[in-house]
Amino acid sequence: MDFSAIGAAASEALTLASFIGIGGGVLLGYIIGVIPGLSRSVAISIAIPMTFYMSPYIAISFLIGLSKGTAAGSAVSAILLNAPGEASSAATALDGYPMAKKGKPKTALQVGLIASVLGDIMATIILIFVAIPFARVALLFGPYEMAAILAFALVFIAGLSSGSLFKGLAAGGLGIFLGTVGLDNQTGLPRLTFGYTELMDGMPLIAVAIGTLALSEMFIQSEKLRLERTTMSVKLEHRPDDHITFPIFKRILPTILRGTGVGTFVGALPGLGPSVGSFMSYGMAQKASKTPENFGKGEPIGIAASESADNAVIPAALIPLFGLGIPGNVSAALLIGAFAIHGITVGPLLLRDSPELLYSIFAGMILASIIMFILGWFGLMVFAQITRVPPHVVIPIVIFFCLAGMMLQGYGTFGLVILMAFALLGYLMKKYDYSFVTFLVAFIITPMLELNLRQSIILSRGNWEILLGRPIALFFIVCTLLALIMLTLRTVRTGKPAAGAATD
Amino acid sequence: MPRSDLWSGLAVAGFGLVALLWMIPNYAGSNPFAQMPPGLVPSIAAWIMIICGAIVAAGGMIRLLRDGMLPVTREISWIAIGWAAWPFLYVSVAIWFMTFFKITWLGAFVIAGMLVLLGERRWYMIVGCSVVPPALLYFLSVYMMRVGVV
Amino acid sequence: MKRRTLLAASAALGAMLSAPMALADGWQPERPMTMVIGFAPGGSTDIQGRVLARALEEHFGQPVNVVNQPGGGGAVALTRFLNTEPDGHTFMFGVQLGLTFSPIVTETEYDIDDFRYAGTLVAGQFGIVTRGDAPFQSFEELVEYGRENPMTYAQQLPMDQAIMQIIADQEGIDLAIVPTGGGGGMAPLVLGGEVDFAFSGGTHAQYTPTGEMNVLAFLTRERSPFYPDVPTLAELGYPYAMDDYRSFFLPGGTPDEIVAAFEDAARFAVEHPQFVETTVENTLHPIVFMDAEETEATIREIRTANEALMAD
Repeated sequence: MDFSAIGAAASEALTLASFIGIGGGVLLGYIIGVIPGLSRSVAISIAIPMTFYMSPYIAISFLIGLSKGTAAGSAVSAILLNAPGEASSAATALDGYPMAKKGKPKTALQVGLIASVLGDIMATIILIFVAIPFARVALLFGPYEMAAILAFALVFIAGLSSGSLFKGLAAGGLGIFLGTVGLDNQTGLPRLTFGYTELMDGMPLIAVAIGTLALSEMFIQSEKLRLERTTMSVKLEHRPDDHITFPIFKRILPTILRGTGVGTFVGALPGLGPSVGSFMSYGMAQKASKTPENFGKGEPIGIAASESADNAVIPAALIPLFGLGIPGNVSAALLIGAFAIHGITVGPLLLRDSPELLYSIFAGMILASIIMFILGWFGLMVFAQITRVPPHVVIPIVIFFCLAGMMLQGYGTFGLVILMAFALLGYLMKKYDYSFVTFLVAFIITPMLELNLRQSIILSRGNWEILLGRPIALFFIVCTLLALIMLTLRTVRTGKPAAGAATD
Repeated sequence: MPRSDLWSGLAVAGFGLVALLWMIPNYAGSNPFAQMPPGLVPSIAAWIMIICGAIVAAGGMIRLLRDGMLPVTREISWIAIGWAAWPFLYVSVAIWFMTFFKITWLGAFVIAGMLVLLGERRWYMIVGCSVVPPALLYFLSVYMMRVGVV
Repeated sequence: MKRRTLLAASAALGAMLSAPMALADGWQPERPMTMVIGFAPGGSTDIQGRVLARALEEHFGQPVNVVNQPGGGGAVALTRFLNTEPDGHTFMFGVQLGLTFSPIVTETEYDIDDFRYAGTLVAGQFGIVTRGDAPFQSFEELVEYGRENPMTYAQQLPMDQAIMQIIADQEGIDLAIVPTGGGGGMAPLVLGGEVDFAFSGGTHAQYTPTGEMNVLAFLTRERSPFYPDVPTLAELGYPYAMDDYRSFFLPGGTPDEIVAAFEDAARFAVEHPQFVETTVENTLHPIVFMDAEETEATIREIRTANEALMAD
């Protein structure tokens, strides 16, 4: 590594302008992340016109700071309002909101922030020192491996649903079904679009996520207002024990490390995305825990698992981007555009042609994490004031931002109708205890799984022996089978009383 | 909640049946090149819904029979249903209006109306809470995203 | 350094709030304009469009807002564009595939006659690529290799699939064709050696300088100025072509003087240094100017050719 370049990079990273640029990016991202309904893609499309007027280094660090900020900010609304702004923060709400309701909102926020920042910094360090030379490893993951990993993720996450297993599976079935809407990626012919041009690229993920996560929650809460107006809001009292302590930190640290590992792995493989990472990490934490029954009731480890993986995905998605020129997920793809507007072609050439810029960006990313920690720590006090606003005031405003966030994406009124349909669906699923997590994950994974499966079948020409030369794929197929067996065992054991209750 | 299990299970299984018998044959399309026809994955999903929905419904039915309960209750609480339903109706009507007016102009009235319905009576809260979010949206869309008024 | 960036930042604020005034003859916009792009932010159309929007701000003296309406390869944006006021304040920087190809395979609510076309700026770069260390480095070698070995090809559009299928049948190649779901999905398949060769809509640009990918042939009618040694399919003796240009689309019923004003704007933009630089250097697309009449004629011509191809 070229140390003079690193020195120069560090000095550029520490100018006042870059502090302002990166800090502004993190702050903007954090605020947008906190508002349910406005998502990361809104934040980045807000930012791209602004970066026209910045130097390339500041522009890129600004954008990366922005996506880090939204990832950390969306945890705030997930914890305090149970209305996650992103699909990837849905796992945070599972334990964050119960914990906040138990009277420890500040601890929950602090756990989330520390997990975010640590996951983020560690993944950035992996990106800088380890990953770019090894980015080619991602190429070992061809269609066979991706199909196996996706199948594993689907089965593994389906097993997470806490309520009735069959209800969870039914919700997963619906997610798979809706995930197949859109153009057939081979013939370009529409599938299940019912003649609507707007559905050609599938049900818009943003409408599905905002509808089932944030908007439906507002309808649930407005219904609750009738009977429990005084008891339902999260109370932020000055409880002396409501802050993170060293024992808690020690308990969550192994989870953060594992979450970072999961997030980095998922981020480095092009296409998987942060939601898969955060749910996988949550599930692994639950499986590893000695008291899995505490999950979903306010377990800080659950928050740490989800948030550390969610944030680790963001720097990790840059591994294939800088190493191979392949964007790891949607926000990395947006970054390609931002780079190009500044006259930079991203890819392996960047390290060769302008290492100085690359190191500046890395330095900027570390700086962004530190700024995020400081902003978040003090921001907690400000954002925690949300809890003082009574729910009947929060509800209409959040509903407005959900609708506005959809309009900002350019889907028009049609998008609002879809959003409303998914809000109704989410409301019914929450009310009748159908796992919306299984639904959402199945919806996100299905299109990728189908494409990779199709590619594998065509490439292998139906010859199963090809898998013998693919140890990674074989490994994940075995994992999938194990997960399936465990799921069946659980069905037999716990599913019986529900289905055959008359016999006892 | 055996009653809701019965009906929600039936609803899921029913949707699966509709999907399998009507949606997929009519709208899934065909692909002569593919080893996996476009209807395959949706059909699997429909079967999952039918089977799991039926199991959930059967579980609910068995428990209803055991407890000697009727599948429908006589005391339907119309007030509770009304409370659950009005926000949906309110937002749906607001969306219908949004086909004619932009959300930025309509937003303040939508928020204010809902605030009043939810029981807020302090005028300064109503004005403040309904004007600030659309103003923020205006600033976001016009000055920051530069997509014009949405 | 510090000073320059701060200055740039403050200049930015100024520029965001007030656009510079410039004069042009004929029709003039009276208020901020909206440019519709039928693709998500980050793709090559979006990048070119956003830089183009800044060039147009200089030309028209009004701010130009960019709105992305992604979906269906531009079909969603075109459908929504049907109901736009023909007053010139809303226009589209569009990819012609939505008109020359989509209506053939799907039922669209629009067709070529529903819009007006006001000048072309950029040409597409459809090519056939392979890995840098593949055992064949020209299209002839590929055909030679394919006669002996079974091969795999990654498609992106039904049209390139149709062309490749015809060539494979003709040359006796045992070809398995896999879908990729776009350029981002193609690159890992080619670089990882999962497929032997692939269609590329322009993604190859960032891999050819390092030798990681090689372009074997172009599907366009003319050779690419960036790869003067690479032949077109037609030159290799296969009479098939896939052409695509990026042009200004205006709503049907737009008056002639507005169309003329956009034709001037296109003429201005293809000379604009920043637009040219971004398009050529960063997205590696050649600048090609066509006036309104030629643009429309080209669209109809390509459509007829595509219909003939897909009918087989």
